[in-house]
Amino acid sequence: MLLRIEKGSAVPISRQIIGQIAMLCASGKLEPGERLPSVRELARELAVNQNTILRVYERLVSDGLLEMRHGQGTFVAKDAPSSSLAVHRERLVEELRQLARQGISLGLSADQIHELLAKALEQLHTEDVRCSM
Amino acid sequence: MTQPAIDIQAVHKSFRHNEVLRGMSLHVERGHTFAFLGRNGAGKTTTIQMLLGLLNRDEGSIRVLGLDPEKEPLALRAQVGYLAEDQTMYGWMKCGDILRFLAPFYPTWDHELALKYAKDFEVPLGQKIKHLSKGQNVRLGLVMALAHRPELVILDDPALGLDPIMRKQFNRDLITHLQGEGRTFFYSSHLLYEVEPVADVVAILKEGQIVRQAATEELRRDVKQIFLPREAVTALGKDASLLDTRPDGDEVAVTVEGAEEAIESLRRKGVEHRVVDLNLDEIFEAYVTGKVEGQETSAEEVVLTP
Repeated sequence: MLLRIEKGSAVPISRQIIGQIAMLCASGKLEPGERLPSVRELARELAVNQNTILRVYERLVSDGLLEMRHGQGTFVAKDAPSSSLAVHRERLVEELRQLARQGISLGLSADQIHELLAKALEQLHTEDVRCSM
Repeated sequence: MTQPAIDIQAVHKSFRHNEVLRGMSLHVERGHTFAFLGRNGAGKTTTIQMLLGLLNRDEGSIRVLGLDPEKEPLALRAQVGYLAEDQTMYGWMKCGDILRFLAPFYPTWDHELALKYAKDFEVPLGQKIKHLSKGQNVRLGLVMALAHRPELVILDDPALGLDPIMRKQFNRDLITHLQGEGRTFFYSSHLLYEVEPVADVVAILKEGQIVRQAATEELRRDVKQIFLPREAVTALGKDASLLDTRPDGDEVAVTVEGAEEAIESLRRKGVEHRVVDLNLDEIFEAYVTGKVEGQETSAEEVVLTP
């Protein structure tokens, strides 16, 4: 499990880790039932406070993404895919809301913002096509 | 309730006419990693020297691991690992010699651990201390501060002489050896982006007083910047304490303490606003140099403005 911490970011470190683990679950890179590193191991690996990692795991357990099995460690929950998608969607909606707000403060209309999103999707699509060639 | 590792109550300290600490209070729970932040000259080193019993206070009380550092400095120092900002050591000694020289002073000295740290921190054991670089000097000091497995470690700006790779290695060791074993770690630093991943709690010292002590994550939840129409500032509610305001066209960017309540208050009153999350650097800046429009200028500003 490779995570990347951005220091000095306005996004708190715990939220960075939560987001990345959720992403790994959603994309299937972490599979249901897979064991995660222990709190100590991950804390050492990332050079992040152990209590922060513990809170991250606890939060992801209460979101239903992970499960702690007593004495065995922390695992990706068996029924993670659906719940992780929900968590993910929530976060995406929040980010889109912020982007939309920025667009409005730039003086763009709703139609123009839709148009920009459509253009961005189109660009991604052509990139994908290029990559798969 | 267990006794805190460090308890400072209303401490005053002056050097001649210069009042460095003005009723400073803070407390550090056992097992916490505690970052002590402040600008140069804010009183960090003075505080740390009083914690070790190297300086006496004028007023107030200090307890470190339950001991008064003025009354029992030796008993205290046996349980504390300490690294000064500009640690001076016997220049004629070799690094390996000073570690062997120190060992008998500490009943709990672990020489294998000392050698492991020396290796991790790339301290050249065969070299004389006077020939060390600044960074090597700091690293030797760290080995000396940690090798007796102290209950409490106090470091004055340890990251100063370390390059980014060694800082990460140092943070890892700190997490494994100090946090992992439930020991208390109190340190001052300028590198806030290095502090954030590691510290449980931070305290900000300004003009001889602690202006804020909070869990790192709580501080980030509690202090945010809000953009809102100028005339709507009063809608933030009375629980929000303003740290900094700066006009931005028709709007004003307000950095507030008590952000959750303030945002809730704006929602209730239907005031349009944008919330910006701040990093630890920006939060620190708001506390130490923030200016609020319409309030009297702070003492610091009076000094700095010619």
